[in-house]
Amino acid sequence: MDSTAESIAAAPLPTQRTLRMRRNVPFQLLRFAAINLRMAGVILRGHK
Amino acid sequence: MARVVILGAGVAGHTAALHLRRWLGREHEVVVVSPNSKWNWIPSNIWVGVGRMTRSQVTFPLAPVYRRKGITFHQALATTLFPEGTADDPTPAVEIRSTAPDTAGETSRLTYDYLVNATGPRLNFAATPGLGPDGNSLSVCTDSHAEHTAGELKAVIAKLRAGEPQRLVIGTGHGTCTCEGAAFEYTFNVEHELRAAGVRDKAEVVYLSNEYELGDFGVGGLTFTERGFTTSSRTWTESLFRERDVKAIVRAHVQKVEPGVIHYEQLDGSEHELPFDFAMLLPPFRGADLTAYDRDGNDITSRMFAPNGFLKVDADYTARPYEEWSAKDWPSTYESAAYPNIFAPGIAFAPPHGISVPRKSPNGTVIAPAPPRTGMPAGITARAVASTIRDRITQGQQAPAHHASMAHMGAACVASAGTGFTQGTAAAMTMYPVVPDREAFPATGRDPRGTSGEIGLAGHWIKAILHYLFIYKAKARPLWFLIPE
Ligand SMILES: Cc1cc2nc3c(=O)[nH]c(=O)nc-3n(C[C@H](O)[C@H](O)[C@H](O)COP(=O)(O)OP(=O)(O)OC[C@H]3O[C@@H](n4cnc5c(N)ncnc54)[C@H](O)[C@@H]3O)c2cc1C
Repeated sequence: MDSTAESIAAAPLPTQRTLRMRRNVPFQLLRFAAINLRMAGVILRGHK
Repeated sequence: MARVVILGAGVAGHTAALHLRRWLGREHEVVVVSPNSKWNWIPSNIWVGVGRMTRSQVTFPLAPVYRRKGITFHQALATTLFPEGTADDPTPAVEIRSTAPDTAGETSRLTYDYLVNATGPRLNFAATPGLGPDGNSLSVCTDSHAEHTAGELKAVIAKLRAGEPQRLVIGTGHGTCTCEGAAFEYTFNVEHELRAAGVRDKAEVVYLSNEYELGDFGVGGLTFTERGFTTSSRTWTESLFRERDVKAIVRAHVQKVEPGVIHYEQLDGSEHELPFDFAMLLPPFRGADLTAYDRDGNDITSRMFAPNGFLKVDADYTARPYEEWSAKDWPSTYESAAYPNIFAPGIAFAPPHGISVPRKSPNGTVIAPAPPRTGMPAGITARAVASTIRDRITQGQQAPAHHASMAHMGAACVASAGTGFTQGTAAAMTMYPVVPDREAFPATGRDPRGTSGEIGLAGHWIKAILHYLFIYKAKARPLWFLIPE
């Protein structure tokens, strides 16, 4: 447990701004479009 | 006239049945055998398990859909295969035992021209003493397990409100479990609920896993490119654990679950006890444990099935060390190695080996995730199998098989980390291919352009939309077939 706990303690901590952006509706609408495009690409490659 | 019998009405079996019915003329029969009367969108069981959805929101009765589509449905469990028929009748057949309320326990035989074994995983709680809802821990693997677990979570929240500290342990209940993604999702959904209930400060949330490190997810971890840097799914996952203050114990094999205490061993051979107030631990998976006989009545189960009960297909099952594992070992047609008219898409096929590095403790305990086969590969492999069967029925036996190897297939995984239209978050990941191909992509085994990860509300919206989209598709509503697998 200890080495994992140390690694978690040393992991990058998102800033308040990053956390806000993760729930910012206009920004997330853009991310929604981007993620969907990325997923569509992966899905289409899988369906070939 | 041909008859296709499909065992299992989960993601793979139901997908194969609907496509075959759409493609084949009415002179051909499509038959589905499945023990449950309802279809269940399993990924949303996570939300049932935190009380945010009801069982009726994640299930629907299969019989009306099959009646409308012209698919014959037997609510039954397949038990025995006779791939060469019997001494009296050489027609291949499968024996089934009814689970319908009015005929429960009655057995009958169905003959077939093509058989699709899409029986998915058997939840092997028995592998760990005390594991599971009949023992001392909880599960979210079925909608009824998830409903029960939601009730227990509510009780824990009530105790927290009363000021009683509680430890909630969520993870894998055996060293060889798969589906770590589901345990991860449930962990963060529970954490989100505790926060929403205003009781997070009194609760200790612990993720207990057989992964070597966080972010492995049974696929050996991922490497993403983010803002001009490559980063590992490990760092990315650890960051979420830090942000949400969730503890983690990895490299763990649960030996037994006693009331309120988990006993586990770690890769270094050390043994530990972890007291808990609430424990949701996934079971390891096995195949459906069908038995098979040849025409003379000899037991050929071990010829057709791997020791873990999964059907042996067109994979290369030669035992090799990890360094020699190859993307080419993975199957692509899912045709039985013994009988070309039997197929196993989805989780029902025996994988050639893991994806994560195999590891054992000094005591010889295997502590390494089994390879996950998520919904998307289950659907894609089922569609490929259905295409092969369609072609063989309409064009003749010589029609070539359709291919869908997990080594040439990407996957989009959205792991919920809390629900709510404006308050939800999810980790949206893509990977290409699922099974790393070190010849094609020497650096990490995966294409950096197809491999990504992002946390945010957008991922939650996608997860919620997928819920409605896949239930719409499974109900075979108008134009359902335009929704990809
Ligand atoms: C809690 C949880 C969360 C998950 N979340 C996700 C997710 O977010 N995204 C994702 O892609 N995947 C997810 N998965 C994995 C996904 O559910 C599986 O990949 C998928 O269900 C596999 O499809 P399948 O058809 O092979 O098996 P299943 O869907 O399990 O279907 C098997 C079917 O066979 C039937 N059956 C069993 N034995 C017999 C028998 N002897 N005779 C006849 N029928 C039989 C069963 O009743 C069932 O209908 C999750 C899994 C779990 C447990």
